[in-house]
Amino acid sequence: MNHRPFEDWLLEDQRLSSDEERELQAHLRVCTSCAAIAESNLALHSTGMVSPAEGFVARFEMSLVENRKAMRIRQIIGTTIFVLAGLAFLYWLASPFIQEVMRSPADWITNVVGDFLFILTSVQALSEISHVFTHLLSDFISPIGWLVILFLVSGLGVVEVLSIWQFTRTPQGV
Amino acid sequence: MDEEMAWVVQAQHGSDEAFTKLVEAYQTHVYNLCYRMLGDAESAEDAAQETFLRAYQHLHRYDQKRSFATWLLSIAAHYCIDRLRRRKFSMVSMDAEEDENSLELPDADAPNPESEMIHSEQREHLQLLLKRLDGTDRAAIVMRYWHDCSESEIAEALHLTVSAVKSRLHRARRELAGLWQEDSPRPKPERRPHESPAF
Repeated sequence: MNHRPFEDWLLEDQRLSSDEERELQAHLRVCTSCAAIAESNLALHSTGMVSPAEGFVARFEMSLVENRKAMRIRQIIGTTIFVLAGLAFLYWLASPFIQEVMRSPADWITNVVGDFLFILTSVQALSEISHVFTHLLSDFISPIGWLVILFLVSGLGVVEVLSIWQFTRTPQGV
Repeated sequence: MDEEMAWVVQAQHGSDEAFTKLVEAYQTHVYNLCYRMLGDAESAEDAAQETFLRAYQHLHRYDQKRSFATWLLSIAAHYCIDRLRRRKFSMVSMDAEEDENSLELPDADAPNPESEMIHSEQREHLQLLLKRLDGTDRAAIVMRYWHDCSESEIAEALHLTVSAVKSRLHRARRELAGLWQEDSPRPKPERRPHESPAF
């Protein structure tokens, strides 16, 4: 049986003229497959909306409050875990140092003070040396000579920067 | 700016009261979609609640150029499709579940008990047939016939193209009719005088 155009009319929910309607009704009386489409069509159009049970909004408000509470608890737990993990990692990093300190606090303090004094005296010595050098060199090198040295040093710096840039720009090992 | 958009903007700025108004306005739409998709009142209630919760949490992502109703239905449809997929994978017998769940459809305005019985039977029959459609096809059918969404709105909500929606609707309607015919013969519904002959 030829279902065209009745099947298309039904499946596409087309509005029909009175002649078309008569043709369709005649076809539906003899065609069970198109009649099934028409019946399911009617059921689809006549079945109404289903509403939720009373108090849906109140239940939503309650679940929103509970959800917020759960989220806050999750945040607290997450933050605590993060902080504890961070502290554990720091402890792991610092453990050799801490162990050393704990073994002999007096030795550790002596070492720290000794290191501090060494750094201090080194800085002092270096500054004195540089002071003497600049004092001595100023007698030998003219101001133009200083400018040339400065120019050469900065030129070297520029060459270094450019070569690094060139190397990093070009993919290596491809 | 209409009232609904004003509520949306207020809710986006953190007003719970405005969001509650949106829930009040859309509870039936969302619940109905979930009910038609999942087939039982309890799952539909859970899904509708979850939909509003997700909408509340992601309200900042809502684009005001789009329809709020479509955005909300999109969340509900995707959630229900996911749940249907999970049900399928969890190997739970849907048939057994279907038998357990009574269809709690509310009474439409009933002219007489016999006619109401026929309509109620048809609604139940339709609901059972809907369950046999693919999740996305089901969502397309529900959005088209219960929520009067256009094909482009359905496409937007389900992340499909308009032509894909057209073909899905066509296929689903044909499948639904096939199932309708396959199942036990039902009393032929009478067409209402004002309705188009095509339905």
